[in-house]
Amino acid sequence: MPFTAKSGKFNAKINAVTIGTGDKAITIGGENVLPFYTFDEAIENAPKVGIEITDGGMEAEPECIQKCYEGCTSVVDMAKKAVTFDGVDFLSIRLEGGDPNGKNKSTEELIQLVNDVAAAVDVPLFVCGCKNVEKDAELLDKAAAALAGKNAVILAAKEENYKTIGASAGLAYKQVVGAESAVDINLAKQLNVLLTQLGVSGQSVVMNVGTASAGYGFEYVVSTMDRVKAAALSQSDATLQMPIVTPVASEVWNVKEAAASEADMPEWGNQEERGVDMEIETAAAVLAAGSNAVILRHPESVKTISTLVKELV
Amino acid sequence: MAKFVTIGERLSTTAPAVNKAFMERDPEPILARAKQQLDAGAVYLDVNIGPAEGYGEDLMKWAVQLLQSNFDNVPLALDTSNKKAIEAGISVYNRSKGKPIVNSADAAGRIENVDLAAANDAIVIALCNGEGIAKDNDERMAYCQTLLERGLEHGMEPTDLWFDPLFLVVKGMQDKQMEILECIKMFSDMGLNSTGGLSNNSNGMPKHIRPIMDSALVAMCMMQGLTSAIVNPNDLRLMETIKSCDVFKNNTLYADSYLEI
Repeated sequence: MPFTAKSGKFNAKINAVTIGTGDKAITIGGENVLPFYTFDEAIENAPKVGIEITDGGMEAEPECIQKCYEGCTSVVDMAKKAVTFDGVDFLSIRLEGGDPNGKNKSTEELIQLVNDVAAAVDVPLFVCGCKNVEKDAELLDKAAAALAGKNAVILAAKEENYKTIGASAGLAYKQVVGAESAVDINLAKQLNVLLTQLGVSGQSVVMNVGTASAGYGFEYVVSTMDRVKAAALSQSDATLQMPIVTPVASEVWNVKEAAASEADMPEWGNQEERGVDMEIETAAAVLAAGSNAVILRHPESVKTISTLVKELV
Repeated sequence: MAKFVTIGERLSTTAPAVNKAFMERDPEPILARAKQQLDAGAVYLDVNIGPAEGYGEDLMKWAVQLLQSNFDNVPLALDTSNKKAIEAGISVYNRSKGKPIVNSADAAGRIENVDLAAANDAIVIALCNGEGIAKDNDERMAYCQTLLERGLEHGMEPTDLWFDPLFLVVKGMQDKQMEILECIKMFSDMGLNSTGGLSNNSNGMPKHIRPIMDSALVAMCMMQGLTSAIVNPNDLRLMETIKSCDVFKNNTLYADSYLEI
């Protein structure tokens, strides 16, 4: 019997969400096939790769990354440099210094920085909070206001603060709202429902369904992403058709395989290689599981993943 | 598995207000009822214009265009014994949200409606009935086979024939209920889609009882593999049951707000 290949394209598709403005704007999502299944149907918008810096500047970076930003004396300098690296589609600024249990920087100080960074670069911007839900509600509300007209991604609204961040970023300032859940598919769906019930258009929501560094409970991450895409495409579930954005860097560079120095762990070899490897492995895996964008930190990882995507799509 | 397909039954000439609106081409009552059903979660809307001898073509065209232009090309089931009216309806039908459903064919006098559906790339509700109610499942399945073969001969996909076991009223045919459920399982085992006028089971019962009976039956039917039903989507208990069963069947992903979407 002759074999007839059946196309695996779906009737449903992932929402195409545009981020940023002007020539450098990017669009993620829009596909009606599983990740990288270009043999079933062309994927119009290849996954995008972003680079991340933090308000901590050079000091907050591991030595191997500091090297790449040689000569930079401020976060704004780093931002300008970051967007020149090969393969960078967007810039992410993570405001981790806002954490009340950490440096507890004031909202005013951090928003000033967001303004300065936004003025210095023309690529699409992602603003990530400090992971403290109360502080993020305040910080990301102000960030959304500061970036009015930039069509930036605000990461992220969580179950605890989605009303404030959704109303501010989604309704008042028309940014793209990131909806964050921690590797919990039912909550991922619920948060999208709540945001849309609040009045935020499903077309301006992206999801961070949670991640981990490869090797750290990562199979749950992959299965969550797999099931999100399956529900979105095969069940036409409109509440899960938002593209997935995965911040990889903030996970990877905290695990011992990436963070331990060669002096502490001589048998593990060069720290930079280890860190970059972890970042590339994690990013490649979440892309294969359905992420539409990844946020990375080392320029070498950005370049490698960007090349990988270009070869595949 | 795909989500259960609810076909809203409230646009029917059997309702005097709807009949009057159809006769007078008065959009307002039609649109109001359509909106209520869609807001409640109906996927398809049934448009029952009765036999509509002489004016069916014009009326069906009017109804299809009215509903589709107001509700984002809502998919429709065209329900009439008037074949020309169904064809007229399909001629103006926009299929971007789903194929039209021809309601309905049977294995006797209305078998040609299968051909009509095939010729128009439509879905057809295939009632497993001949002349009179089938006496048992052997007879139902023989009709099922006849209808299926007819569809396949005319080039239809088997999944475009939605088999209707014919739901029977409990008050009078209580002893036949399990047979209907077994019949649905047989359709399901063959990979076939199924539907039917489920609320027929509770005909003649007090108004407050009907949602309870309908909900219990729909849950049992979904367990057996029923893929669709022609129901009143404004029966909240029934819709909540369908949504809950869709979760248990893994047809939809659970979220705390699942009843609101």
